[in-house]
Amino acid sequence: MPDPVSRQGLAQMNRSLLVNPYVLIAPGFILAALIILWPLASITNIAVHDVNRFGVLRDYVGFENFQVIFADPEFLGALRRTAIWVFGIVAGSIIVSIPVAMILNADFYGRGLARVIIMLPWAISLTMTAIVWAWAMNGESGMLNSGLRAIGVLDRNIQWLAQASTAFPMQILIGILVTIPFTITIFLGGLSSVPDDLYEAARLEGANGWQVFREITLPLLKPFVNIAVVMNTIYVFNSFPIIWVTTQGGPAKSTDILVTYLYKLGFQYGRLDDASALSILMFVLLLAFTLLYVRLAMREEKA
Amino acid sequence: MSFVSSGRLALAASAMALVAGAAMADIRVTVAEYSSLTGPFFNDAAAAFEAETGTKVNIEVVPWDVLFQKLTTDISAGAQADLSIIGTRWLIDFASEDLVAPLDDIISDDLRERFVPAFLDPSIMDGQLLGLPVAASARAMYFNSDLMAQAGVESVPENWEELADAAAKISALGDDIYGFGLQGAEIETDVYYYYALWSYGGDLITADGTSGLGTQAAVDAATMYKGLIDAGVTEPGVTSYNREDVQNLFKQGRVGFMITAPFLATQIANEVPDLNYGVSAIPAGPDGDRGTYGVTDSIIMFENSPNKEEAAAFLDFVFGHDWRVRFDSGEGFLPVTSSVAEDPAFADDPVLSVFASLLPTARFAPTIAGWEEIAAIASDAMQSIYLSDGDSAIAPTLSAAADRINALLP
Repeated sequence: MPDPVSRQGLAQMNRSLLVNPYVLIAPGFILAALIILWPLASITNIAVHDVNRFGVLRDYVGFENFQVIFADPEFLGALRRTAIWVFGIVAGSIIVSIPVAMILNADFYGRGLARVIIMLPWAISLTMTAIVWAWAMNGESGMLNSGLRAIGVLDRNIQWLAQASTAFPMQILIGILVTIPFTITIFLGGLSSVPDDLYEAARLEGANGWQVFREITLPLLKPFVNIAVVMNTIYVFNSFPIIWVTTQGGPAKSTDILVTYLYKLGFQYGRLDDASALSILMFVLLLAFTLLYVRLAMREEKA
Repeated sequence: MSFVSSGRLALAASAMALVAGAAMADIRVTVAEYSSLTGPFFNDAAAAFEAETGTKVNIEVVPWDVLFQKLTTDISAGAQADLSIIGTRWLIDFASEDLVAPLDDIISDDLRERFVPAFLDPSIMDGQLLGLPVAASARAMYFNSDLMAQAGVESVPENWEELADAAAKISALGDDIYGFGLQGAEIETDVYYYYALWSYGGDLITADGTSGLGTQAAVDAATMYKGLIDAGVTEPGVTSYNREDVQNLFKQGRVGFMITAPFLATQIANEVPDLNYGVSAIPAGPDGDRGTYGVTDSIIMFENSPNKEEAAAFLDFVFGHDWRVRFDSGEGFLPVTSSVAEDPAFADDPVLSVFASLLPTARFAPTIAGWEEIAAIASDAMQSIYLSDGDSAIAPTLSAAADRINALLP
């Protein structure tokens, strides 16, 4: 029979340990540290050293690798195209997704089927989608050319992937297509939280469809647009398969974005040190954008 | 009780296995998977070798795409195999880290003398033999005999001038038929240009150690290719055609001429056996110069291998005549040993004998650390030229590329 006092003391100690916030955070923090902080630390270590192509560290070089990246004309080109790429896909997918989400939110016969069809691109791996599109855009035997010729839009084949002026816009369009399902999911969640009586009241007051959209739907959807912007920016900024499968960043690096340029540096040219420096730069860029955007969006909401 | 005894048994068994392993000196060989025949070939050779010598050989078959990655990972962990197949152009990267064992004193003179000397050259650095050629390939021009006959082209073009005429005639046959298939995308875009560069008397690295792209020969060769594009005798949009895309056009009978490796003949035999085609030398330049691209893969021994003697014995075994005949004919490679080159399986083959006859003019990628990046710069320059309007961009683009390459050259 144990001593009642010590038993109580034990229970107290157990409780105090369990409600300690650091103890509660610890499992999640350790997991996050393992999968985020540890690679980050080791890649930072590589970025400030001279490294051979087998990953063996040599001399400490400070910021030399970063200077190499900044001095590389390909870096600035890729940075500019990354901005166009992210803005094009994020803005494009939001503009398309809002009306589609509103239609899918309305009650109509076959809505379930329509939702499934809209979501389908999400179920297919990004690489598969990109391969199918690369075939479709083939200049000689692609479905895109033969389709457009059949309906009379084109009178001769376009070599879609032969130059950046056609390849890059098409890559952004594919990016929009595959980003739409996720964006719609966010907006459907947002729309279902808009109370129906607001719409009823507006209709009683004689508001037209555009006014309802501008004065009710859009303002209430705004937090969800912010979520879509932040999440999509993070995904699209680091999205590799579409560009790699269709053009590998070519011809002559004219469709390279930062992440394809990073891959070439690291795995084709074996410049692991410069590649590590670039990936840290990309991490900082993305983090800075996200923090800035979230702060601006939050401030607006509070005001 | 039964748990304890079975645990003990397992322990004893593993201890025995350890002792056995140490005594038998197993060797490990990493091989690149060239085709579905590669794995079975090396496993059969390993089994026969074990039956003969008692040394067990573990074969690790790795797809080409991930071979470099695997070796990098193994090396950084210090866990590389005893022997490995590598692309010969990687040799410099491995050798500069002192990872490769010189073979001069390890292999017998008899083994060394089996090879065609030209194939050993790319593996010799600072006078030391660092690898043995295990696979060799060269490039030649494929021509579609039916298209030539329809267009009234009577003989296979001997030089680029004749080729331009013949290609124009073939292109005139129809809207979706093209005279000359020009590769302008992805890996080896630069190589497709080097064929022309060499025939114009140029070189990748000139005698003074700078990039050959800065020479007049480079400008002339690029101007010639650009002329073919602008005359409309190549497929349209060359910068979207990788090697497989151009080969597909050839297999569909829509391209008169293209330059590629022996494996296209294997594909044609399997996929379109009725295609009426032939193989000849790459056209010569204005001064009669010719050049084809030779590629070899080497098998190397790692410096930290504890079983160098056994590994050398396996090399001696697997480079025996009968094994080499089976390997080269199965994979469609050119013979690297003299006795196999004289074997009827190769000497009498109409396609392979043409490729083999070109080997004296074959050039290999220079053994320079970081060659992949130099190749990418050259490829980008060619794509810019193919895309540009007119000829005015050719010289400046090439000289800018040459400057960037010179900065990377040692």
